[in-house]
Amino acid sequence: MSARRIVLTSGKGGVGKTTTTANLGAALAKAGKRVVLVDADIGLRNLDLVLGLEKRIVFDLVEVVEGRCQLRQALIKDKRFESLSILPAAQTRDKTAVSELQFAEVITQLAEMCDYVLIDCPAGIEHGFRNAIAGAAEAIVVTTPEVSAIRDADRVIGKLRERGLPLRLLVNRIRPEMVRSGDMMSVEDVCEILSAELVGIVPDDEDVIDTTNRGEPTVLVPDSRLGAIFEKIARRLEGEVVPFTVLSAPGFFGRLFGQRKAG
Amino acid sequence: MHELRPESASVPVAPPRSRGRAIVITSGKGGVGKTTTTANIGTALARTGASVVLVDADVGLRNLDIVLGLEARVRSHVLDVLEDRVSLDDALVTDKRVPTLRLLAAAQTREKDDVDTEAMRALIDSLRERCDYVLIDCPAGIEKGFQNAIVGADEAIIVCTPEVSAVRDADRVVGLLGNDRTSIKLIVNRLRPQLVRKGKMLSVDDVNAILRLPLLGVIADEPGVIISTNRGEPIALDDTSSIGAAYRAIAGRIAGTDSSAPEVPAEPTVMQKLGSLFGGRRTS
Repeated sequence: MSARRIVLTSGKGGVGKTTTTANLGAALAKAGKRVVLVDADIGLRNLDLVLGLEKRIVFDLVEVVEGRCQLRQALIKDKRFESLSILPAAQTRDKTAVSELQFAEVITQLAEMCDYVLIDCPAGIEHGFRNAIAGAAEAIVVTTPEVSAIRDADRVIGKLRERGLPLRLLVNRIRPEMVRSGDMMSVEDVCEILSAELVGIVPDDEDVIDTTNRGEPTVLVPDSRLGAIFEKIARRLEGEVVPFTVLSAPGFFGRLFGQRKAG
Repeated sequence: MHELRPESASVPVAPPRSRGRAIVITSGKGGVGKTTTTANIGTALARTGASVVLVDADVGLRNLDIVLGLEARVRSHVLDVLEDRVSLDDALVTDKRVPTLRLLAAAQTREKDDVDTEAMRALIDSLRERCDYVLIDCPAGIEKGFQNAIVGADEAIIVCTPEVSAVRDADRVVGLLGNDRTSIKLIVNRLRPQLVRKGKMLSVDDVNAILRLPLLGVIADEPGVIISTNRGEPIALDDTSSIGAAYRAIAGRIAGTDSSAPEVPAEPTVMQKLGSLFGGRRTS
């Protein structure tokens, strides 16, 4: 049986593609799925850092494509989940080192080994983007509730639809209190503008900066609010109907005392 | 001696225009604030009377027009100029608020591969004949769009957030810029002093221990920036904002009129936090 092949893309950089890929991968692995994460950002790789696996890289995607190692040799198993691996990008090469066909071929091979292949797409819509979507059968478009991110997402959605890739939307870094005060677009606004189906809503959480810097996906932090959210997104990918929780802004006393309601 | 020479009175204060400076704003990683930085530094420089052209080099994913609130006024773009459909002067959009600020927009429905790198160099060169500063907003990544953005610039500003991944990408970009630039300086963006104190965020010193670049400025992470960006009103125009002041100081350092060392934003006091709490409630 062949795996689901999902590309996480956005157009705009810095909206959270890599963090989302790592966390969603960890959530799926936690649920018992065999998952391979592919870093398609040749030259500016970061997925290894976010997962804390950077010191264990021996081979990379470009070396696989160039036949200098076996695909299995280049996969790094996560320290925490046996069923989670990453295929790192090359750091000192550029994106033209791999063609769309070669990339798609690697993804096809990976799909024979696992249940999910998640592809972390680079920012932009250049060669690296075309590679990342070449092997995918579906897409998750990550966006933040900002005008520039939405404009870029719209452009990317157009390109995905041209290729007939089914897609769903993940709205990242929502700040409920800013939505409430009218300073930020709501999730409903974003979905309406982009006319796309929603797969997840992730609130802005300062802990993410810290866990990302430390190479520990937030899904692994016990009782973490975001961990529970990514687990829900993973269940939605599995086809389960999981209602979206309404994100409430922390109440006045919650904010005073630093408590946070689960989203 | 000057007072003895009456003709010196008729000499204009500004020296005759030499070629303007071309500065690329780049980062490697996306979403660290290149476009917001470009808009704000440009606005701050133009407010002092300098003539400034901002160039959006993100062909296909342009956003500088939105951040400046000029999206409805853009009629032509970089590729119209390069493909001789529009003259360079006709393609420039004058800012609504600061008349010495102009924008050359990127094409939205074209690809970065459509832009010839040498033609881009020539374009930046002709812009340098027309103004004091050309600021080039570089796209994320290190592909063709990056090459096109850096080719005409002899100075670079690296924007980096205090995150391991952003620092790694910035370091890679500094390497790719090579030794051809006369200056490469650093802006640390989106610093949260409270997180730094708790040991949950890299400090400016942590970032610069790796990058080792002259520091041009530090910008704190505040919701006001998102709001101003969404509204298309650069925060550098807001005289009451500390972020606006930080951008104006950066502009002063670029122009050489401000010799103060960059300030690292301090943590808000308890009273300021309470103020924003109540302020936040009022607007909701």
